[in-house]
Amino acid sequence: MPPFDPIQHALSVNRRTFLTQSAYGLGGIALALLQNKLTAATGGALAPSALPPGWSGHLREAHLPIRAKRVIYLCMAGGPSQFETFDWKPQLKALDGQLFPASFTQGQQIAQLQNSVLKARGPFTNFQRHGRAGIEISDLFPHIASVADDLCVIRSMQTEQINHDTAHAFMNTGSIIKGRPSMGSWLLYGLGAETQELPGFIVLNSQGKYGLQPISARQWSSGILPSRFQGIQFQARGDAVHYVGNPDGVCQSTQRQVIDEIRNLNNSLAEQTHDPEIATRIAQYELAFKMQSSVPELTNFKNEPAAMLDLYGIKEPGDGSFASNCLLARRLAERGVRMIQLYHRAWDHHSDLEPGMKTAAKDVDQATAALIKDLKQRGMLEDSLILWGGEFGRTPMGQGTGRDHHILGFSVFMAGGGVKAGTVYGSTDELGYRALENPVNVHDLHATMLALMGVDHRRLNSKYQGLDVRLTGIAGEVVKGLMA
Amino acid sequence: MIRPALLCIHTFVLALLISVASAASNPPRVQFNRDIRPIMSDTCFHCHGFDAKSRKAGLRLDRREDALQPTKHDLLPIVPGQPDDSEIIQRIMDVADPMPPIEMHKQLTLEQKELFRRWVAEGAVYEPHWAYAPLTRPPVPGKKKLNPIDAFIRAQLTAKKISPAPEADKAQLLRRLSLDLTGLPPTPAETAAFLADYSRTAYEKQVDRLLASPHHGERLAVWWLDVVRFSDTVGFHGDQNQRIFPYRDYVINAFNANKRFDEFTIEQLAGDLLPNPTIEQRVATGYNRLNMMTREGGAQSAEYIAKYGAERVRAVSTAWLGSTFGCAECHDHKFDPIKTRDFYELQSFFADIKQWGVYSDYDYTRNPELKGFTNDFPFPPEIEVASPYLAGRHQRTEAELTALITTMRQRAAEPTGATRYATWIDETRAYLDRVPSGWEPIKNATFEFRLRDKLIPAHPLKIEADGTLHLEKPLEFRESLRLIFRPDGGRVTAIKVEVLSEIVQNKNPVWRYPVAPLTVSASVQDAQGKTRNLKVVFAEASAKMPRFINGTEFHGIAAGWRLPTPAKKEILTGVWLLAEPLALASGESLLLTLAGEELPTVRLTTSHLGAPHPLEVASAATLAALTATTRNPTQENLLIDTWLMSTAADPAAFSRYHQTIAKLNELGGGKAMTMVTEAVAPLTVRVLPRGNWQDQSGPVVLPATPSFLPGRRESTTTQRLTRLDLAQWIVSPDNPITARAVTNRLWAMYFGTGLSAAVDDLGSQGELPSHPELLDWLASEFRDGGWDLRHLIRLIVTSATYRQSSEFRPELRETDPANRLLAAQNPRRLEAEFVRDNALFIAGSLDLRDIGGPSAKPYQPAGYYTAIQFPDRDYLVSDADAQWRRGVYSHWQRTFLHPMLANFDAPARDECAAQRTTSNTPQQALTLLNDPTFVESARLFAARILAEGGKNDTTRLRLAFQAALARSPKSAELKSLKNFLNTQRLTYRAAPAEAEKLVRIGLAPPSLGDPTELAAWTTVARVLLNSQEVITRY
Repeated sequence: MPPFDPIQHALSVNRRTFLTQSAYGLGGIALALLQNKLTAATGGALAPSALPPGWSGHLREAHLPIRAKRVIYLCMAGGPSQFETFDWKPQLKALDGQLFPASFTQGQQIAQLQNSVLKARGPFTNFQRHGRAGIEISDLFPHIASVADDLCVIRSMQTEQINHDTAHAFMNTGSIIKGRPSMGSWLLYGLGAETQELPGFIVLNSQGKYGLQPISARQWSSGILPSRFQGIQFQARGDAVHYVGNPDGVCQSTQRQVIDEIRNLNNSLAEQTHDPEIATRIAQYELAFKMQSSVPELTNFKNEPAAMLDLYGIKEPGDGSFASNCLLARRLAERGVRMIQLYHRAWDHHSDLEPGMKTAAKDVDQATAALIKDLKQRGMLEDSLILWGGEFGRTPMGQGTGRDHHILGFSVFMAGGGVKAGTVYGSTDELGYRALENPVNVHDLHATMLALMGVDHRRLNSKYQGLDVRLTGIAGEVVKGLMA
Repeated sequence: MIRPALLCIHTFVLALLISVASAASNPPRVQFNRDIRPIMSDTCFHCHGFDAKSRKAGLRLDRREDALQPTKHDLLPIVPGQPDDSEIIQRIMDVADPMPPIEMHKQLTLEQKELFRRWVAEGAVYEPHWAYAPLTRPPVPGKKKLNPIDAFIRAQLTAKKISPAPEADKAQLLRRLSLDLTGLPPTPAETAAFLADYSRTAYEKQVDRLLASPHHGERLAVWWLDVVRFSDTVGFHGDQNQRIFPYRDYVINAFNANKRFDEFTIEQLAGDLLPNPTIEQRVATGYNRLNMMTREGGAQSAEYIAKYGAERVRAVSTAWLGSTFGCAECHDHKFDPIKTRDFYELQSFFADIKQWGVYSDYDYTRNPELKGFTNDFPFPPEIEVASPYLAGRHQRTEAELTALITTMRQRAAEPTGATRYATWIDETRAYLDRVPSGWEPIKNATFEFRLRDKLIPAHPLKIEADGTLHLEKPLEFRESLRLIFRPDGGRVTAIKVEVLSEIVQNKNPVWRYPVAPLTVSASVQDAQGKTRNLKVVFAEASAKMPRFINGTEFHGIAAGWRLPTPAKKEILTGVWLLAEPLALASGESLLLTLAGEELPTVRLTTSHLGAPHPLEVASAATLAALTATTRNPTQENLLIDTWLMSTAADPAAFSRYHQTIAKLNELGGGKAMTMVTEAVAPLTVRVLPRGNWQDQSGPVVLPATPSFLPGRRESTTTQRLTRLDLAQWIVSPDNPITARAVTNRLWAMYFGTGLSAAVDDLGSQGELPSHPELLDWLASEFRDGGWDLRHLIRLIVTSATYRQSSEFRPELRETDPANRLLAAQNPRRLEAEFVRDNALFIAGSLDLRDIGGPSAKPYQPAGYYTAIQFPDRDYLVSDADAQWRRGVYSHWQRTFLHPMLANFDAPARDECAAQRTTSNTPQQALTLLNDPTFVESARLFAARILAEGGKNDTTRLRLAFQAALARSPKSAELKSLKNFLNTQRLTYRAAPAEAEKLVRIGLAPPSLGDPTELAAWTTVARVLLNSQEVITRY
């Protein structure tokens, strides 16, 4: 037996209660019951066809209609300003440079503006109405504006964490306590992946010129879940996946022979010890070998036509830019990866808001729109859920030439699978300080995303430290208004 | 004699039959802890438990006295002996409106309902939760002669009519024992010696040997360091380095010395509060500083103080109390009697720890004590302590240096050397006639100012004859002053800057705080204006503020001189030594670039003279020796040294000398800084409603031990309890849970699973132990027997239960699928650190020279730290001196843990991790196949096989198996691997260039011999090192 696995804990409680020490004793009825119990718990009794198509995780049935099969989360790390993206505030512009009304800010959390005089900063951009619904979008994002009819813009996001580190943790896991699994891990644990040759949860990183902030691998950690549910980070340099390349001096056919010979040794061991881990190990080596060819195939853009590279605005395929990563994201989506997360670190504009926003918008605008268009033309947008946004927003008050962190109201958008396209949800007050109408907190966003994937977040649990831990945390309501 | 024995067996079987029969017909009594509590905990306590706030219908089921009281609706929940009159039985049986409600998705099975009914019928007897109940030593069942562990285990097996597994094969047993006790496999010689030892105590001798090994402490440290969340970085945001490795040395040494666990506990939690604490006891208090910390700009101190406080509660309660306090930060625990107040009372023990919410001094969050701190600074308070690892190297390096100097001095005695030496003395005397002090002011200099590389209009600057530069205003950020001139004779060895004026305190925005330090760089400019840079080998100042790079202090001022503040009266001096004494060609000039916002009025001089140490250039002693008519031996040596350093008469020795000096500087005099706990006036701790740090409405609490555990100690208004009180209560005979928690975790190390499988939660949502009496017996033995960890380990590993074969028993698949009855050992995949240690040990490359020391950096894919900032991070792979150290010493980066460690389930140690998961993933296969650490190990293993394995393939494969697996190959394995080897030979003979590449992977020098043969064997070694058997202890 492998050592204790918290996921199997529930199962072992059953074993304990019903078998080894139970008041039932070892009667035949108890044994039969146990069998049922075990099969129910492991799902062994269910034919694979009873599972929703593409599902291979711990959930045995969809709780809700499945509207999306995968998530592509474009994480604008650093926290983009909502005032220069999706939340047009003419009154804030009018107040530019004047004292910010204390009635808004009294007693509220603040980051680097602690102990400063608070002055309003008007948006430096203009906004136009776009699409059938006339969604106001800043002039910095002409390409995203061109797909306005596919967007569901949330202007009333709220979070609880005002510093980057904890805000990322909260946005990804729903908690700032370490060890909580990230949303990609929830999906992989609950639904499994559709690919066998690639990791089911992949993270890509790119960075801009200004406003960089660090991120952490715990943002894609599987936390208390076994590590097979963690996000695998693709590297910009060297092997795309750690250790996916053969060592120098080892060709692919030698590597194949090595793996075959390892299997021979492992089989010989299995005959003697009957250790069930060995069969799994052999399978993992096969999977690893497949990844050694599927990853290079995946990251090789040779068969992408020039027009496709132009659509995304890719200068050099595989250059680690956000544009290149967006195309890679589409290729991952095609191959059945469940969760694809792109970080673009470029949005922490405490100073130099104007050049910072302009540069960062240029980095992501065209490629984001291209991803939406590309998925759409392939018929994949309808079952891909796209989320675009930062870990928080920015203050309507200025900080030098920039804006500080802000958590009481900011904007994100969703697109694709099951999302109410061409709409705006929620709004902030006249100065954009606080979400007023239909506030959406991070837990609600999580609940809604899971609902679109067919999962009731209240029923996605795992055993940990003896507790039935709801993976999304205890809060969160599905926001029906975001769903088509 | 025979008859009674037979009779005895007969009676025994009969008794068994009777008990089985009665079990089938008349089930044993329902036991609350075993049968009812797990169900209640899972399905009832959420609404009817300890947490008053979430309690529904006024019904409380966790306490018998409450469960017998009428509810709000005047219903009787439980009537002992009368299930039909008991409301809870009615409700759980109710099909239309069942309990628990359908929306909870926690339906009871028919059997569970029946258990409830019977339990009530049998009188609804409650039992205190096993883990919180007072700890008393249960009697050992059966025969006295057995190891008590075996007595308990056998009793259950016998009752279930299961026979234990036979003892493991002897060689396998030694491999198991070695890996379990030291994390290292046995050498072939050790295996052979054990196999040849037929004495009755052969095994016990091995146990003694391995327990006495200094590697035993390293192995246990891996176990403990997870629990105390030991790491080299702070975890939040910039994840900067923290200085703490001496604490790890402390842990390893404590285990090696078998320090009593009560002392070990007290020292870590409260060593600083002991009377006259020793250095060791203070180092131990590094434990309290291992929480994650931040210095993120914009972070609010009070918020992070609350976060640190809450984490300490989670850490100490998981590590020592085996309890999950986490939920109680916001609300009373739903399943355990842990109240919010308990959480904050426990937290307030730690309120005296000196700390900052944000470890920096931003202009919007002032921390005057941290003035001048940048992201590169360490995390005080720290103390400086001796490090045996560094001290040993320091001593060796000093000896190297002495030897080097002796050799260098011999140059002056050689004929050519003597001539050059004499000439140099004459020239230098002439130089001193022109420049009596040995330092010549800059002369006829032209100058220009630049912003970065761009020429800017010159600031007003006056250069005096003595080399004083009067700058009317200090340089701005990124501005520099370039001076172009030709020194006397076109020669220069050293450059000196003397600070004459008061130091300017610059006010700067936070993002480039503090001011840029003073830097001096030198280059040569030729007649065409082209420049070439000169290297500085060593620069030092008479006084300086410390500067750090990612937590490591800079030595010298070559990378920048932070002038000390507040300004001192004396003249500060900084001297830069060039890597090569310079002689300018005609038409060339010296170009000095000065930068730094602190640059005030300075005097700039240069010298022909060099010296071993910058501040000794043209010292009074040197000048005296130079001008003396007769020289004593000291003067002679000083002069020879000056000659060598001024002319680089022996360039190779000169450069080796400075390399050695640099190495010596890095060793910090054999000392290291380490974070410790310093007690200050305690902060006020309040209950934070719903954990909200901004809500100050909750009551103030004082330190008190958990209310639900025996022997409660509380502060009074006149006497506040301290961390020392907490630590002493934890290890007091009153407290039953620590011994249980630690013993249980210890057990898991040797059997793969704890006696209670949820080792991090002994609460009601955890698991009733598979062998409750055994756990209590071991815990009593531990607590009441002097907290002797090694005694406990010895008891475990000498038990027959431990020594059983680990072969899977298919016949028990149905009855004991998880092997909780322990009718066999469990195979256990090695922990990440030991997966690597094992491979390196097999290869013969594991570096076991030192116990303890700073963290080492094994190979890691380049660019992995790209997303870490503040400061930007480079991962500098350790050189050959530290590359092959054990995994316990691996650099632990919380935000980006080394991929090899992460892939093999090592926790990031953000928080206390009492349990590692064991996964089996493609990433693990990729790591073992392709990580240079393992490929290099394979090629070194191959070299070892070729060197030590005898003359032919068979003998070599035999050695390979002995080294890797402590066994001989089976004939099928031998045949298969021989074929494989021959194929690889053909492959690499056909592609010798590929072979060359493969056998050069890693830092280790390439092995001698035919590269194609080595490559073929490397491939065989890769196969072996990737086998499941190598990474598993069977």
